[in-house]
Amino acid sequence: MDITWGAGAANPVIWGWLIAVYLFLAGIAGGAFLTASLTDLFKKNGQARVIRSGAFLAPVAIIVGLGLLVFDLGRPLSFWKLIFNVNFGSVMSIGVFIISIFTVLSLLYAYLVWTSVKVGSKVQVRVGRAANETAATKAAGTVGGRGIVAFLGALFALGTATYTGFLLSAVSTNVFWSTHLPGIAGVPFLPFLFLVSALSTGLAATLLGAGTCDDLTVYKKIDIVLIVIEILLVAVLYASVRAVFFSGNLAALFWLGVVMIGLILPLLLSLYGVSRHKNLVLPSCSLVVIGGLALRCFVVYAGQLFK
Amino acid sequence: MAKHYAMVIQLKKCLGCQACTVACKFENKVPDGQYRTKSPAIGPSGTYPNVKVFFEKQACQMCQDAPCVKVCPTTASHYNKDGLVLIDSHKCVGCKYCMTACPYDARFINKNTGTADKCTFCYDTRLTKGEKPACVTTCVGGALLFGDANDPQSEVARYMATHRTEVRKAQFGTRPSVHYDYEGVK
Repeated sequence: MDITWGAGAANPVIWGWLIAVYLFLAGIAGGAFLTASLTDLFKKNGQARVIRSGAFLAPVAIIVGLGLLVFDLGRPLSFWKLIFNVNFGSVMSIGVFIISIFTVLSLLYAYLVWTSVKVGSKVQVRVGRAANETAATKAAGTVGGRGIVAFLGALFALGTATYTGFLLSAVSTNVFWSTHLPGIAGVPFLPFLFLVSALSTGLAATLLGAGTCDDLTVYKKIDIVLIVIEILLVAVLYASVRAVFFSGNLAALFWLGVVMIGLILPLLLSLYGVSRHKNLVLPSCSLVVIGGLALRCFVVYAGQLFK
Repeated sequence: MAKHYAMVIQLKKCLGCQACTVACKFENKVPDGQYRTKSPAIGPSGTYPNVKVFFEKQACQMCQDAPCVKVCPTTASHYNKDGLVLIDSHKCVGCKYCMTACPYDARFINKNTGTADKCTFCYDTRLTKGEKPACVTTCVGGALLFGDANDPQSEVARYMATHRTEVRKAQFGTRPSVHYDYEGVK
């Protein structure tokens, strides 16, 4: 270590892959919860498998993510101090409360969905196979305030997904993270990008979890729209910051991981799939999820490696 | 009038002896391999016969609009009554948000405590006893000036009134209390 002659310069990466994966999982959780709860709230014959998959995925993803976050702390066992010492000027401090409430609501929602699954199996005996899933969802949707939990949870899921972007964009001394929407100073860019990516990856992960299903065309079409929006946002990002952020070791991560695997290939596969294979989700959705992880890693590292 | 502790660094008087680096490690018992202050060589730059090299003392710049204080989720990073940026290690959980925000790379996670650590201008151990920071009193070349910038009679105030000094990375608007006089080295 030579601090005088510069050979031992400090590692510029302060937040490493643990934080990148945490931001990714928070996005998955938010997106999965929104997929399940909006299906539950707005689709009369909501697909029970989709609701179940998203409702169970959300708490698992956010709790694993929070585990990584706590593990990354200098003093992991003191994480509870984040709840008792509040700084309203700090995005992270506000985020602690958004994510805590979201975690509780997602657990509650998963419990309500789980109990309705048990009701469903009883219904199955009496009504028979065909009607079982929709009947179960309807029955549980009306009792127990599941709709209220779904609605409140959806708000906090939006907050969680957006917060991961605000967390980085609030670092005003980081030129990359604090990039603004072009032409609109004061409106940070990352929250939009991370929200769209969260919706896209959360939806994809939920469909993967739902497995074989009835017609998923609606979800696939929504995913195509989200991918197209994300392509536009990534293009805007590429055009509005210096080229150095997409260079060196990160060039492969960006072009291969974010652009090819995460956006172009799944778009082509989805377009093909909608027309030919209505229920085939594995190839396209897996790529979207991997691309979402690549995006978080790219943004977290690019902001720190190049200043 | 409230105090505003400030430091002036005259780079042409620094010979890179690292006495400040060592004095700080003595005074503050900083863990091995970690530093609250360091003075790396900048350069050499230029081509013969105009080659230059100088040493730049780097530590917490004691910003008056400190990004670290703004982002800290637990208010562990705070301004004390004398306007210094300090860390309450009892509140710090080690989230490193302050480290991502500090444009001067002045902070680190203390290996022993797991909390954020940085220069304090030796507030607890020396300033409160009326002494100057350890780096200032030990400086061999007399490159470091320290005092209350709000007192026009202080060494730092008089120096800044008569010399051109700069702050590092002024573009971030952090309003540092550490001022650099690059005259003779740049």
